[in-house]
This record gives sequence, C-alpha cells and structure tokens, in this order.
Amino acid sequence: MVEIKRYSPVAFKAFPKRTEARDNWTVVLEYDGEGQGANCLVDLSHITRLDVQSSNLDAITPFGITIPQGLCDSVLQDGVLINRMNSIQASVFCLSGKRPEMPAESSYTETTEVGMCMAIIGKDVFSITEKLTSLDFMDSAKITPFLYQAPMSHIPCQIITLSRDGAKSGILFTASRGYGKDMVHAIMDAGAEFGLKPAGEDRFKSWLNTL
Amino acid sequence: MITRINQLPTLRVDPANKVVFDYKGKDYVGVKGDTVATALYHNDVRIFGRSLKYHRPRGLYSLDGECSNTCMEIDGIPNVRTENTLVKQGMKVKEQNVKGSAENDMMGFIDKLDWMMPAGFYYRTMHKPASLWPVAMKQIRKAAGLGVLSPDFEMPGKFDQIFPSADVVVIGGGPAGMNAALAAADKGLRVIIMESRPWLGGFFDYRTFDYRDAQYKNSKPLYSRARELASKVESHANIRVFKHTSVVGTYTNNLVTGFQIGTENDKFNERYIEVRAKSVVVAAGCIERPLLFDNNERPGVMQVACVHRLAKTYGLLAGEKAVFSVGHDLGLEAAVDLFDLGMKILCVADVREDGQNPYLMIELAKRNIPYLKGWVASKAHGSKLVNKVTMTTIDGTISRDFDCDLVVASAGLTPINGHLTLAHATLRYDSHTNFFVADKMPEKTHAAGRMLGLEDSLSIEISGKLAGLKAALDCKLMPQSYGNTETDALKSEIDSFTAQSKELPGPARGSKFVTAPVKGRKTFICFDEDTTIKNIKQAIDMGFDVPELIKRFTSAGTGPGQGGIPGHNLPLYVAKYLAESGAPPKPTNVRPPLVPTLIATYAGSKHIMMKRTPMDEMQRADGGVFRKIGVWERARYFSDDFSCKKEIENVRNNVGMLDGSTLGKFRIHGPDALKVLQRVYVSDMSKVKTGRVKYSAMCNDDGCVIDDGVVIKLGENDYYFTTSTARAGATIEWLRYHTRFDGWDFYVINLTDSMGVINLSGPNARKVLQKITSEDVSNSAFPFSGYKEFIIKDTIPVKAMRLGFVGELSYEFHVPSSYMVSLWNMLKDAGKEFNIQNFGVEAQNVLRMEKCHIILGQESEQRTNLLDLGLGFLWDRTKKDAKTIGAVALRQAENDPTRFRLVGFEMENNGRAARDGALIVDDKVRGYVCTARDSFSLNKAVGMALVESHLAKVGTRLEIFEDECGGERIYGTVVPMPFYDPDGKRMKS
Repeated sequence: MVEIKRYSPVAFKAFPKRTEARDNWTVVLEYDGEGQGANCLVDLSHITRLDVQSSNLDAITPFGITIPQGLCDSVLQDGVLINRMNSIQASVFCLSGKRPEMPAESSYTETTEVGMCMAIIGKDVFSITEKLTSLDFMDSAKITPFLYQAPMSHIPCQIITLSRDGAKSGILFTASRGYGKDMVHAIMDAGAEFGLKPAGEDRFKSWLNTL
Repeated sequence: MITRINQLPTLRVDPANKVVFDYKGKDYVGVKGDTVATALYHNDVRIFGRSLKYHRPRGLYSLDGECSNTCMEIDGIPNVRTENTLVKQGMKVKEQNVKGSAENDMMGFIDKLDWMMPAGFYYRTMHKPASLWPVAMKQIRKAAGLGVLSPDFEMPGKFDQIFPSADVVVIGGGPAGMNAALAAADKGLRVIIMESRPWLGGFFDYRTFDYRDAQYKNSKPLYSRARELASKVESHANIRVFKHTSVVGTYTNNLVTGFQIGTENDKFNERYIEVRAKSVVVAAGCIERPLLFDNNERPGVMQVACVHRLAKTYGLLAGEKAVFSVGHDLGLEAAVDLFDLGMKILCVADVREDGQNPYLMIELAKRNIPYLKGWVASKAHGSKLVNKVTMTTIDGTISRDFDCDLVVASAGLTPINGHLTLAHATLRYDSHTNFFVADKMPEKTHAAGRMLGLEDSLSIEISGKLAGLKAALDCKLMPQSYGNTETDALKSEIDSFTAQSKELPGPARGSKFVTAPVKGRKTFICFDEDTTIKNIKQAIDMGFDVPELIKRFTSAGTGPGQGGIPGHNLPLYVAKYLAESGAPPKPTNVRPPLVPTLIATYAGSKHIMMKRTPMDEMQRADGGVFRKIGVWERARYFSDDFSCKKEIENVRNNVGMLDGSTLGKFRIHGPDALKVLQRVYVSDMSKVKTGRVKYSAMCNDDGCVIDDGVVIKLGENDYYFTTSTARAGATIEWLRYHTRFDGWDFYVINLTDSMGVINLSGPNARKVLQKITSEDVSNSAFPFSGYKEFIIKDTIPVKAMRLGFVGELSYEFHVPSSYMVSLWNMLKDAGKEFNIQNFGVEAQNVLRMEKCHIILGQESEQRTNLLDLGLGFLWDRTKKDAKTIGAVALRQAENDPTRFRLVGFEMENNGRAARDGALIVDDKVRGYVCTARDSFSLNKAVGMALVESHLAKVGTRLEIFEDECGGERIYGTVVPMPFYDPDGKRMKS
C-alpha cells in the first residue's frame, strides 16, 4: 500500500527534529541542531500561493486585502503577502502555513506547485544574495516589502525583501520547482562562510511575527 | 641573498615573519608581504624566465606585472604574474619557457637568428609550396606560447563571485581615488573603491617626501598622508574597499568588472566582482613609458618605480651601482632617495633639456650625483645580466660607458586609460602632457588624478574630490533622489573646488622622448612578443601606417601584459617614423580583460543550474542514465545498452512508464482566450470539445513549425495546453507578442513545473490503471484522444489523456508535482504483476520514430514548415476570427516544388541505421537524415529524412553520406510511413 504524500522540491542535508503532517505535506518545524544561528534558510514550498490575473486588479481583494498599485510593490497583512507583478497580475502568498479557503473566481490560479519557495533570514542575508545576484536589495528608493522579478543564481525568481533591518533582515523567494535542488546547493554554498543553516517553519514564523 | 632594509616606515612587508617556499626544488625564504618576484629577488634570483620568441633572459622590470618578464609557473599553474602574487608558505615556483634553466637556456641561440624572423614572417614565409605550411605551422605552434598546462589539470582553490551594488564605484585607490570615494561617501552615497595593490595609497604610498613642496601640508610625508586617507576610507561606513582587486572591464551603464585576490583570511582564492553603479570615477594613475634603447629588457634594467618601490615598500636595493636614464622628476626623486639608502648612483641622465624641478637638482648636487642633461642610455651590456651601460647624448654624437649592475630607465609617464577606452571614451593626443587623454568622457564617468597629467599632490587630491562630487551629483540627479536644494548645494561645492583647483599647478609638461639613437635590432618595444623597433620599421616600410594594424602585424601589445609596455610607445614611435604625414599619434585599442586573470575566476562557483523533475531521485535509484536536455536533466536510458532494446520491447509487449514532466503546460483563460488560441495554432481551436484532446501546431510567420502540443478545454474561455519541452520558456511571450495590437483580455500562466507527467504505455497499460482508480477507463468510456479528470484515492487530482505518441495504448497523467512520487509509486505497485518497467527518453524516441511521429527540432529545423512535415491536415484554412500566424506563408508554400519533404526510409540490405544528421546526396546535398535507428519492433533499420521533393516518392533510392565515411556511402529506400502499426489499431484499442 503506497502512502500518499506530497514532496517538497527542496531537501536539506539536515535531520528534521520536529515535523507536522499538513495536507499530505511533511512540514519540518525544526531541524536537529538548528539553534539560533545568525542566518538560516527555510523551505516554505508547502505554503499556498496563488496568482491573480485581471485587467481590473483594483476590484479584486484577495482574502480582503487590497493589491498594491505600484509595480513591484508588496503588502504584508494578516500573514498574507501580496506582490504586484504587473498591471494585470499579482502573486499571493499565504504565509500562515495553513491552507486557506480558495477563492472561487476564475481569475485565481493556484501556483503552490509551480515553484519552490524559500526564505533566507539573518544579518548576512544581503552578503549571501550578492554572491548570487546583482540585484540591489539596499536601494534606498525602495521601501520594504518590495518585489524583484529577476534572476538569482541565474534562475528567474520572484524575490520579496521583507526586512533590511540588521539581524531581522530577510527575503522570501520563489523559482521554478525544478531548480529546487540546485538552488539549495548554490545558496548553501554562498552562505557557508556566513554560517547559513537550514531551519524549520517555526523559525520563519517567529521571525515573521517580529515584522 | 641581499640584505633587507628593515626599518623603513614605508615598508609593506614584515621582515620578522618568514615564508618558506620552493623554487626549482630548493627551499627559499621570503617574508610576509613579499610578492613571489620580490622574494626571489631577495634570494638573488635575477633571471625569472625566457622570452617568447628569442628566449632572451628576462627579469624584474615594472613590479606591477606590466609584461610577461616575470610570469612563472606557481603550484602547477603557468603564466602567473609573480610581481602581483604574494608569496605563501610552501608555494612551488618554477621558471617557464626554458630548455634547461632560465640561467642556461639551450634555446637561447634563437636570439641570434632574429634576422630570420622579420615582422610578420609567419604571414609571409613558409607558405610556398602550400605543403610546407602545415609542417611549419606545427613547429611554430610547438615553439609558441608560454607555459604548459596538462589537459587533466584541475584548478585547486575556491573561486567565487559577488555582484555588489553601489552608487559610485571608484577605480584606483591612490590619493585621487580615495578623495573621490570620501567626497561621494560624505554625501551619503554607497561607494565601492577597487585597488589593484593589496593596500590603498597609490603613488603616495612609498614616498617619504614631496619634492614639489619640500613637504606635504603640515609637514606630513606623502606615505603618511596616504595612510591617513586610507584609514578614513576604510573606516567610512559608506565605503566598501576591495583591495588587491584589478579592474578588468568597464562597460556601458556603469558596469565595472574586476577580480580580487583573496588573503589568508578570505574564503576564496580569487573572486570575480561585478559592480553596477550609478556613476564611475576612474583614478587609475599612470605607469611609466619604457625607454627604448638596445637591450632595454636585459635583467638589471628596471623602471624607476620598480627600483624605488623595491626599496621603499620591500626593503630591497635592486643593485649596488646604478645609472639612471629618465625623462621625469620621479626619476630624479628616486635617485636621491636610493642614494640616501646606500645605493651608488653613477650618474643621472635626463632626456629633458629643461623643466626639471630645481629642488631635486639641488638635492642631486648636494649628493654629488653626476647629472647629464640631454643624455640617454643607448645600450645595456652583459650577456645575461647588465654589467655596463653606454650613455650617449640624445643626438648620438658623444658616448660614455659606465660599469654598473643596474640601469634605471624610463622615458616618461603614460596614463592607465584602458578603463576609459572600454567605456567608450574618445582618446586624443595631448601634446602638452604627451598623454592620450579623453576627449569626450562617457556619460556619468569622471577621471581624476595623475591620469590627467597632474603631478602636484594637492592638485591630485582636489581633482579626486571634484570627481567624487561630480559622481555624487550624477546620483543625486537621478529621479528617485532628486531634490533641488541638495543638488544646488552640490553644484556650488563643485564650483568652489573647481576654483580652488585653478589656483594649483595644472597638468605638467610630459617628456616626448621615445627612443635612443639606435638602429633598433635589439631595442624591444614589446617584451611579451619580442617585438623590436626594427620590426616596427619593417612593418611601416611594408605599408602598414596605422598603429592598430602594425600591432596586429607585429604582435606588439598582444601578449599577457595587455599592451602595458608598448601601448603608448608604439603610436608615438609610428608617428615619429611617419613624421612627414603630420598626423597626431593614434592610440591602439584595448579589450577586456585589461589585466590577465584565470578562467577559473570567471567561472566562479561551480553551480550547474539544471531543472529536475519530481521523479529525478527515484529514477536515478532505478538506474536511470541522465543527460542534459535543454534546461532539464532527464533519464535518457535505463541500462548500459543505449539501443534500449529491453525498454522498447517492454513498451511494445507489456507496459512501461516514462516521466514526461518536462512538457510545457499552461492555463489560458479570460474572455478572449479562444481568439489567442486561434491566432497561434494552425487548427480551428473552436472545435476543441470538452472531454477531448486536440493536437495542433504553432507556426511562425514563415509557416515554419515552432511548436506542437495538445489543447484541452477546462471550461468556458478556460483552456489547458501543452508545448514541447524546449518551447515552454518562450510560450507566454509568444502569445503576448502576437496579440500585442489587439487589446484582447486574456491571461496565461505557466504551469510547467506545477504538473508532473507520467506516460503509461503498452498493451497492459489499461490493466494497470484500472487497479488504482474506480473510474471507467474502458476504451468506450475513455477512448483515444479522450480527456478525463479524476481523483485517485480521494486525494490526488489527475488530468488524464489518451494519447499515442509511442504508438501503443497510452495514458498521460498530469498530476500536481508534489504528488508525482506517490502516484508513480502507486502505478509501479499496481504494475508489479506485469513487471512494469521504466523507459527513458531514447526508448521513447525510437518508439515514436517507428510510428513516424515527429519531434520538433529533430524532424525539423528553423526552415521546416508545416507542409514539409506532412502536417498540413492540421491547418484550417477557413478560420475567420483571427489571422493565423504563418497562414500567408503556408499558402505560398503549398505549391512550391522546391521545398523539402519528410519521408520514411529503410536501409538497404538489412544495413545499420544511418547516423542522425547524415546527408542525403547525389552530386549535391539533397537533404538529411532526421532520425534513424535499428528498429527491434520491425527487425530492420528505419528512419525519417527531409529530402528534396523529387526524392520523396516511395521506392526512391537515397544515397547517404556520413561524417568521416571516407567516400563510402550507404543507401536507403523511401518507404511508406508510418513503419509501425500503420492503421493505429494498437494505440486506439
């Protein structure tokens, strides 16, 4: 009898200490020896993501939240992150980790399966990212949270800078699911000199609560 | 071993900290901070290697790696610039380009054969008779090149890359660069400063006094001022300092690239740096312009700064008895300074008749150093090392010999303006400074410091400050930080500093002297390529009158020094030689990388970014042999038998599973979704029925097929469609581009990675499927070309299609990627009783080829249209709602007899299959083989080919030419398609 499970495109070379079964995913809450290191990488591929597409985006309020109007502006509210991708499209991340009730309108497409989703958190986030991308995360003209749709480690990504506040700094990013393994390899390699370690969802949630 | 002067305040070495390294199998001792070159020099090594062509002895010359003189093999890596490489414990150093040793090189006799090798000799000789050239070429290639690298060599070390962002990037960490950085950073801007040496300070760093003002402002020696500035720069929160970082390229939009050599505390050996800034300051300073005289590259001949820095930075006196032959005040200063350190200065010859700094003249006189105004070195003597120099008046009328072991020679200065050239500055010759200066600067690029011809210390510093402020203004004028008050204040600050700079000395008059009065047979203008003045004359006499062409013909400036040595002298000399034309000297071009570096540095971290399907790990565990196919890694085979016999037979007779997750998958929805499909597909997409799969193709405007796939109707104006793996990345753009003027309301989303695909194929496929679903999957309920959505075990949603790409009963399951492994395991479990097996991409390739189903890119290339492939039946000529892309071209092509046709063929006499890509020929090329394989289903070799239409008739004999067939052709005969199950009974049953 085959057990039905959902598998993340991301796997870390670390032993899960605490896990939780959720909607057939095995969500790692904490890794063995994860500690409170300065920088961590969290797999969030299981969180529900949607794309909403409409020529009248202003009329749509995913989970009751207004979509930001400025191109590449983002909003984080009640655990939901919404990013304006272009004039007719926005991405929606349900960061609580719980599967929400899906909107019925045809303008929504679930994209959870499209990509991996990870967060890099810690004081050296931008020292790590500068080894992977030429994007200017510290551009003073941008206000967090904001979206980049650009390559990281040569792979097209959506990258949302959630905080640039010292040790509280962190980004969230998605990329095509197929690149999961190589992306983890590239990020862990870039972060090695900064002590980057895998961490579970709890670490992400604690951090999110501080924003 | 020469004694090191240990007490100088300018030292950059730690004499107490010894470093042991290996040179040619023996231990040598240097000190921390030494370069390999200075450590060797300290150990009395004078000849570092032999020159490229003539195997002449070569030694220290510039101390900045401006030529290949001191390139050596270090830890197995050839051509390492030892003047720029810090010595490390245990390093293994070897000389290169020698037969024997650098001291006694058996190839040294070639130096006497220079008469056999005039300029461009390899273009002009050994070509007649033609049969001679291949032989000669082999010998030339054997002799050419410096250093040897094994093809198996694996680069040790860690190579990294960073892409930092900045508002202002400053190239050069000298006084001008540091002032520029501070000025911009004080305005709140993020500044990056890149300096090629391991410390900031530039030409202030090793100098204990400024002869122009006797002392720097507030009695501060120049080195002390440099360190004060460096301390400010390094502690400034807004400045990021990259030391030991050479800039190798400057590009449009302020992109600056370089490489940094790691220290022992860094996690990298070298790293590539790419900075995108809003403004760039170039303050790269000057190098010396070599003095041209006979044997001007003999070990013992050195540039002024080389000798000066060797003493002040490394504590090493380059020789005991020196003769100076110079053309600028820095030479006079060095003579005074080195005399004070204990070097015997036999004389200082100055090519300038006037313009010398009087203070320095007094200092020379105080020390009784003979001063020869209007004199120049004309020949260095000594078979391997300098032991004498002939000095002569610049008109060559009077000569004198001096016994010495050091000749300090420099004709003048030349700016390092490669960065400006690469950034598309236009250079012009400035007769006052004798420099090539930027006539028109690139946008948001500013030059500062010595490269403008400034020599006065305060002028240099203010020019840097001004450049930094101008760069700040560039940033402040950008829309996001625009503020009138701020920019107005900045502008008035710039005006104020501009006024101050006008009170200070401007650009100094530069020496125009190029060559001593010599014939030039052994006067080297380019050390890297062994190019002499005589060679340049030969080239000019043969009609080459432009420096750029002379450079090509003589190779001057094309070596690892990147034109550092000949870059300025070549155009000056050419202009002088062609004096009658009256044209100003024209500089030659430079190209990145401005400084040679390792390819490993450009490669950086070794991350291969490939896509993997959800089944990747499991298929590897099942023995999958993976290959890179586009952006994906896919299981191509499942055994060492690359004919895939077992995999193929299993699908034909039993049941197999293929991971087809790489297919492009999209959802298109919105009121005008159907119009878009009508536009891009050749078929009438309004006929797509619910519960059915529609196969169609997309063409470009030329009617050439660019993609094929299936379309499924999910709901009203809501479709799901697939594309080929290769086209997935371009599909959304294709749709948007071809509807850009229509204003249609539609939305597309790429679901390629979202859905995994399992292809379950073979006569037993239905039996396997029946075991995991309660859905009616009988042929009547789920026929060929049918589409169903169902949920397996109340959990896994599946989009299921009845397709037949491999020519058997087949199901294609599109399933959320995260569930792929679970569904795969369920099918594997259900198929256990049938001994279900994996099959890979190659087996699929053969199976579909037997059925004559095409793969775009294999049975087509960019000129192949829909009709060529026999897919004209897909094209609906009656569509009205939208103009089909490619329809106009297809109508024209319909009656074109010159087009290729896709045909099936089998090999004659039960022969082996022709290779893919083999040519179909008679007396001309008539087509090519697309795919051909030995078919186990048919027991013969078959294939498909695109051929001229007159060869398309069944029964036509095809003559096939393969690479390296040695004139032996193989033959096939055109046969009807498809080869396997022509009625399609198996896939439809």
